[in-house]
Amino acid sequence: MADPIHLEYEVAADDYQAAGAASNSVKETLKMLGVPTAISRRAAIITYEAEMNLVIHGGGGKIVANIDEKSVELMTIDEGPGIPDVEKAVQEGFTTAGDRAREMGFGAGMGLPNIKRNADVFEIFTEVGSGTTLRTVINLP
Amino acid sequence: MASVRISEICAEIGARVYSEGDMARAVERAAVGDLLSFVMGSDADGAAWITVQTHLNVAAVAVLKDIPVIIIASGREPAADLTERCQTEGIALVSAAHPVFDICVKLGRLGISG
Ligand SMILES: Nc1ncnc2c1ncn2[C@@H]1O[C@H](COP(=O)(O)OP(=O)(O)OP(=O)(O)O)[C@@H](O)[C@H]1O
Ligand SMILES: [Mg+2]
Repeated sequence: MADPIHLEYEVAADDYQAAGAASNSVKETLKMLGVPTAISRRAAIITYEAEMNLVIHGGGGKIVANIDEKSVELMTIDEGPGIPDVEKAVQEGFTTAGDRAREMGFGAGMGLPNIKRNADVFEIFTEVGSGTTLRTVINLP
Repeated sequence: MASVRISEICAEIGARVYSEGDMARAVERAAVGDLLSFVMGSDADGAAWITVQTHLNVAAVAVLKDIPVIIIASGREPAADLTERCQTEGIALVSAAHPVFDICVKLGRLGISG
Protein backbone atom coordinates (compact mmCIF):
# COMPACT_ATOMS: atom_id res chain seq x y z
CA MET A 1 0.00 0.00 0.00
CA ALA A 2 1.58 3.27 -1.10
CA ASP A 3 -0.12 6.45 0.07
CA PRO A 4 -2.50 6.52 3.01
CA ILE A 5 -6.13 6.59 2.00
CA HIS A 6 -8.61 9.07 3.37
CA LEU A 7 -12.36 8.59 2.97
CA GLU A 8 -15.22 10.75 4.17
CA TYR A 9 -18.97 10.27 4.20
CA GLU A 10 -21.71 12.62 5.24
CA VAL A 11 -24.58 11.04 7.14
CA ALA A 12 -27.90 12.83 7.54
CA ALA A 13 -30.04 12.71 10.67
CA ASP A 14 -32.90 10.20 10.55
CA ASP A 15 -31.87 8.99 7.10
CA TYR A 16 -32.52 5.31 7.67
CA GLN A 17 -32.49 4.64 3.93
CA ALA A 18 -28.80 5.50 3.55
CA ALA A 19 -28.07 2.59 5.85
CA GLY A 20 -24.96 0.68 5.07
CA ALA A 21 -23.67 2.93 2.29
CA ALA A 22 -20.53 3.99 4.14
CA SER A 23 -19.87 0.54 5.58
CA ASN A 24 -20.16 -1.05 2.14
CA SER A 25 -17.77 1.48 0.69
CA VAL A 26 -15.24 0.92 3.49
CA LYS A 27 -15.54 -2.84 3.06
CA GLU A 28 -15.06 -2.61 -0.72
CA THR A 29 -12.07 -0.28 -0.38
CA LEU A 30 -10.33 -2.60 2.07
CA LYS A 31 -11.08 -5.59 -0.14
CA MET A 32 -9.53 -3.74 -3.09
CA LEU A 33 -6.43 -3.08 -1.00
CA GLY A 34 -6.12 -6.78 -0.27
CA VAL A 35 -6.92 -6.51 3.44
CA PRO A 36 -7.98 -9.93 4.85
CA THR A 37 -11.75 -10.50 4.87
CA ALA A 38 -11.90 -10.98 8.63
CA ILE A 39 -10.49 -7.50 9.12
CA SER A 40 -12.54 -5.74 6.46
CA ARG A 41 -15.62 -7.30 8.03
CA ARG A 42 -14.69 -5.89 11.44
CA ALA A 43 -14.23 -2.47 9.86
CA ALA A 44 -17.57 -2.72 8.10
CA ILE A 45 -19.41 -3.67 11.30
CA ILE A 46 -17.84 -0.75 13.15
CA THR A 47 -18.73 1.64 10.34
CA TYR A 48 -22.31 0.37 10.11
CA GLU A 49 -23.02 0.65 13.84
CA ALA A 50 -21.36 4.07 14.03
CA GLU A 51 -23.27 5.19 10.95
CA MET A 52 -26.58 4.17 12.48
CA ASN A 53 -25.72 5.95 15.71
CA LEU A 54 -25.17 9.15 13.70
CA VAL A 55 -28.54 8.63 12.03
CA ILE A 56 -30.47 7.80 15.20
CA HIS A 57 -28.70 9.65 18.02
CA GLY A 58 -26.12 12.07 16.70
CA GLY A 59 -28.29 14.29 14.53
CA GLY A 60 -26.22 13.28 11.52
CA GLY A 61 -22.51 13.84 11.08
CA LYS A 62 -19.41 12.69 9.32
CA ILE A 63 -17.64 9.36 8.99
CA VAL A 64 -13.93 9.44 8.37
CA ALA A 65 -11.70 6.51 7.44
CA ASN A 66 -7.91 6.67 7.33
CA ILE A 67 -6.15 3.62 6.00
CA ASP A 68 -2.40 3.02 5.88
CA GLU A 69 -0.09 -0.01 6.03
CA LYS A 70 -0.42 -0.35 9.76
CA SER A 71 -4.03 0.34 10.60
CA VAL A 72 -7.55 1.33 9.72
CA GLU A 73 -8.78 4.33 11.67
CA LEU A 74 -12.54 4.88 11.66
CA MET A 75 -14.10 7.97 13.19
CA THR A 76 -17.52 9.53 13.46
CA ILE A 77 -17.90 13.19 14.27
CA ASP A 78 -21.21 14.79 15.11
CA GLU A 79 -22.52 17.95 16.68
CA GLY A 80 -25.48 16.24 18.30
CA PRO A 81 -26.65 16.08 21.90
CA GLY A 82 -23.54 14.31 23.27
CA ILE A 83 -23.53 11.36 25.65
CA PRO A 84 -24.06 12.20 29.34
CA ASP A 85 -22.69 8.91 30.72
CA VAL A 86 -20.30 7.12 28.38
CA GLU A 87 -19.67 4.24 30.76
CA LYS A 88 -23.37 3.47 30.75
CA ALA A 89 -23.72 3.97 26.99
CA VAL A 90 -21.14 1.29 26.19
CA GLN A 91 -22.91 -1.31 28.33
CA GLU A 92 -24.86 -3.99 26.48
CA GLY A 93 -28.56 -3.20 26.51
CA PHE A 94 -28.34 0.50 27.29
CA THR A 95 -30.34 2.57 24.82
CA THR A 96 -32.18 5.85 24.52
CA ALA A 97 -33.57 4.96 21.06
CA GLY A 98 -37.08 6.28 20.47
CA ASP A 99 -40.16 4.44 19.25
CA ARG A 100 -39.50 4.88 15.54
CA ALA A 101 -35.98 3.45 15.80
CA ARG A 102 -37.18 0.58 17.99
CA GLU A 103 -39.92 -0.39 15.58
CA MET A 104 -37.23 -0.79 12.97
CA GLY A 105 -35.23 -3.08 15.20
CA PHE A 106 -32.75 -0.56 16.53
CA GLY A 107 -32.28 0.07 20.21
CA ALA A 108 -30.88 -3.27 21.35
CA GLY A 109 -28.14 -1.26 23.00
CA MET A 110 -25.63 -3.45 21.20
CA GLY A 111 -24.10 -1.00 18.73
CA LEU A 112 -21.32 0.46 20.87
CA PRO A 113 -20.52 -2.98 22.40
CA ASN A 114 -20.28 -4.40 18.85
CA ILE A 115 -17.97 -1.56 17.87
CA LYS A 116 -15.80 -2.04 20.95
CA ARG A 117 -15.51 -5.78 20.37
CA ASN A 118 -14.31 -5.27 16.80
CA ALA A 119 -11.83 -2.47 17.50
CA ASP A 120 -8.27 -2.55 18.85
CA VAL A 121 -8.59 1.06 19.99
CA PHE A 122 -11.95 2.46 21.09
CA GLU A 123 -12.34 6.04 22.28
CA ILE A 124 -15.29 8.36 22.78
CA PHE A 125 -14.89 12.11 23.19
CA THR A 126 -18.20 13.71 24.02
CA GLU A 127 -19.68 16.79 25.57
CA VAL A 128 -23.34 17.23 26.33
CA GLY A 129 -24.74 19.90 24.03
CA SER A 130 -21.76 19.99 21.66
CA GLY A 131 -21.39 16.55 20.13
CA THR A 132 -19.60 13.25 20.03
CA THR A 133 -16.50 11.93 18.35
CA LEU A 134 -15.96 8.21 18.22
CA ARG A 135 -12.48 7.01 17.28
CA THR A 136 -11.59 3.41 16.61
CA VAL A 137 -8.50 1.76 15.21
CA ILE A 138 -8.04 -1.71 13.82
CA ASN A 139 -4.42 -2.84 13.57
CA LEU A 140 -3.45 -4.52 10.32
CA PRO A 141 -1.33 -7.69 10.40
CA MET B 1 -25.90 -31.37 10.95
CA ALA B 2 -27.42 -31.24 7.48
CA SER B 3 -26.53 -28.97 4.62
CA VAL B 4 -29.79 -27.83 3.00
CA ARG B 5 -30.22 -25.92 -0.22
CA ILE B 6 -32.08 -22.64 -0.01
CA SER B 7 -34.52 -23.92 -2.65
CA GLU B 8 -35.38 -26.88 -0.39
CA ILE B 9 -35.98 -24.54 2.53
CA CYS B 10 -38.30 -22.46 0.37
CA ALA B 11 -40.29 -25.54 -0.65
CA GLU B 12 -40.57 -26.71 2.96
CA ILE B 13 -41.95 -23.43 4.27
CA GLY B 14 -44.00 -22.56 1.18
CA ALA B 15 -42.05 -19.39 0.68
CA ARG B 16 -42.83 -16.60 -1.68
CA VAL B 17 -39.59 -15.51 -3.32
CA TYR B 18 -38.83 -11.80 -3.67
CA SER B 19 -35.15 -12.11 -4.50
CA GLU B 20 -33.66 -15.31 -5.92
CA GLY B 21 -30.13 -14.93 -4.63
CA ASP B 22 -28.36 -18.24 -5.00
CA MET B 23 -31.08 -20.85 -4.51
CA ALA B 24 -28.57 -23.69 -5.03
CA ARG B 25 -26.46 -22.54 -2.11
CA ALA B 26 -26.72 -24.67 1.02
CA VAL B 27 -26.93 -23.55 4.63
CA GLU B 28 -26.35 -25.54 7.80
CA ARG B 29 -27.48 -23.05 10.39
CA ALA B 30 -30.25 -20.57 11.02
CA ALA B 31 -30.60 -17.57 13.31
CA VAL B 32 -33.60 -15.60 14.56
CA GLY B 33 -33.67 -11.93 15.46
CA ASP B 34 -35.50 -8.66 14.98
CA LEU B 35 -33.00 -6.46 16.79
CA LEU B 36 -30.48 -5.59 14.12
CA SER B 37 -27.45 -4.89 16.31
CA PHE B 38 -28.17 -8.08 18.22
CA VAL B 39 -27.99 -10.09 15.01
CA MET B 40 -24.91 -8.12 14.00
CA GLY B 41 -23.18 -9.09 17.23
CA SER B 42 -24.25 -12.73 17.04
CA ASP B 43 -22.56 -15.62 15.26
CA ALA B 44 -25.16 -15.60 12.46
CA ASP B 45 -22.43 -15.48 9.79
CA GLY B 46 -23.44 -17.60 6.82
CA ALA B 47 -26.71 -18.67 8.42
CA ALA B 48 -30.31 -18.36 7.20
CA TRP B 49 -31.88 -15.40 9.03
CA ILE B 50 -35.49 -15.48 10.15
CA THR B 51 -36.99 -12.12 11.08
CA VAL B 52 -40.16 -10.03 10.99
CA GLN B 53 -38.28 -6.88 10.02
CA THR B 54 -39.01 -5.84 6.46
CA HIS B 55 -37.09 -2.63 5.83
CA LEU B 56 -33.89 -1.78 3.98
CA ASN B 57 -31.56 -2.03 6.97
CA VAL B 58 -32.15 -5.78 7.04
CA ALA B 59 -30.08 -6.01 3.85
CA ALA B 60 -27.22 -4.03 5.37
CA VAL B 61 -26.95 -6.54 8.21
CA ALA B 62 -27.24 -9.51 5.85
CA VAL B 63 -24.43 -8.15 3.67
CA LEU B 64 -22.11 -7.60 6.62
CA LYS B 65 -22.86 -11.04 8.09
CA ASP B 66 -22.68 -12.88 4.75
CA ILE B 67 -26.21 -14.13 5.26
CA PRO B 68 -27.31 -15.89 2.05
CA VAL B 69 -31.05 -16.02 2.75
CA ILE B 70 -33.46 -13.82 4.69
CA ILE B 71 -36.76 -15.43 5.66
CA ILE B 72 -39.48 -12.98 6.60
CA ALA B 73 -42.02 -14.61 8.88
CA SER B 74 -45.76 -14.20 9.47
CA GLY B 75 -46.43 -13.36 5.85
CA ARG B 76 -45.04 -9.88 6.13
CA GLU B 77 -44.08 -8.21 2.88
CA PRO B 78 -40.59 -6.81 2.39
CA ALA B 79 -40.28 -3.13 1.51
CA ALA B 80 -39.59 -2.53 -2.17
CA ASP B 81 -36.15 -1.08 -1.46
CA LEU B 82 -35.23 -4.14 0.62
CA THR B 83 -36.17 -6.43 -2.26
CA GLU B 84 -34.19 -4.29 -4.65
CA ARG B 85 -31.08 -4.27 -2.47
CA CYS B 86 -31.23 -8.02 -1.95
CA GLN B 87 -31.44 -8.51 -5.71
CA THR B 88 -28.36 -6.33 -6.27
CA GLU B 89 -26.45 -8.06 -3.49
CA GLY B 90 -27.41 -11.56 -4.62
CA ILE B 91 -29.11 -12.37 -1.34
CA ALA B 92 -32.21 -14.57 -1.35
CA LEU B 93 -35.21 -12.81 0.19
CA VAL B 94 -38.32 -14.84 0.85
CA SER B 95 -41.47 -14.51 2.89
CA ALA B 96 -43.47 -17.30 4.51
CA ALA B 97 -46.95 -17.19 6.02
CA HIS B 98 -45.90 -19.18 9.12
CA PRO B 99 -44.88 -17.46 12.33
CA VAL B 100 -41.22 -17.54 13.39
CA PHE B 101 -41.49 -20.57 15.64
CA ASP B 102 -43.19 -22.73 13.01
CA ILE B 103 -40.51 -21.84 10.51
CA CYS B 104 -37.84 -22.82 13.03
CA VAL B 105 -39.54 -26.17 13.62
CA LYS B 106 -39.67 -26.86 9.90
CA LEU B 107 -36.03 -25.91 9.40
CA GLY B 108 -35.10 -28.06 12.38
CA ARG B 109 -36.84 -31.02 10.75
CA LEU B 110 -34.70 -30.46 7.67
CA GLY B 111 -31.66 -30.87 9.92
CA ILE B 112 -30.68 -27.22 10.16
CA SER B 113 -29.23 -26.30 13.53
CA GLY B 114 -28.88 -23.10 15.55
N1 LIG C 1 -23.41 9.75 18.31
C1 LIG C 1 -24.15 9.69 19.41
N2 LIG C 1 -24.69 10.83 19.94
C2 LIG C 1 -25.43 10.79 21.06
N3 LIG C 1 -25.69 9.67 21.75
C3 LIG C 1 -25.19 8.51 21.29
C4 LIG C 1 -24.39 8.45 20.11
N4 LIG C 1 -24.02 7.17 19.92
C5 LIG C 1 -24.56 6.46 20.91
N5 LIG C 1 -25.26 7.26 21.76
C6 LIG C 1 -25.96 6.87 23.01
O1 LIG C 1 -25.46 5.61 23.43
C7 LIG C 1 -26.55 4.67 23.52
C8 LIG C 1 -26.03 3.28 23.20
O2 LIG C 1 -25.62 3.18 21.83
P1 LIG C 1 -25.64 1.76 21.12
O3 LIG C 1 -25.21 1.94 19.72
O4 LIG C 1 -24.85 0.81 21.95
O5 LIG C 1 -27.15 1.30 21.23
P2 LIG C 1 -28.41 1.85 20.41
O6 LIG C 1 -27.96 2.65 19.25
O7 LIG C 1 -29.31 2.53 21.38
O8 LIG C 1 -29.09 0.49 19.92
P3 LIG C 1 -28.51 -0.49 18.77
O9 LIG C 1 -27.17 0.04 18.37
O10 LIG C 1 -28.44 -1.82 19.42
O11 LIG C 1 -29.52 -0.43 17.67
C9 LIG C 1 -27.59 5.20 22.58
O12 LIG C 1 -28.88 4.72 22.86
C10 LIG C 1 -27.46 6.71 22.81
O13 LIG C 1 -28.08 7.08 24.01
MG1 LIG D 1 -26.50 1.93 17.93
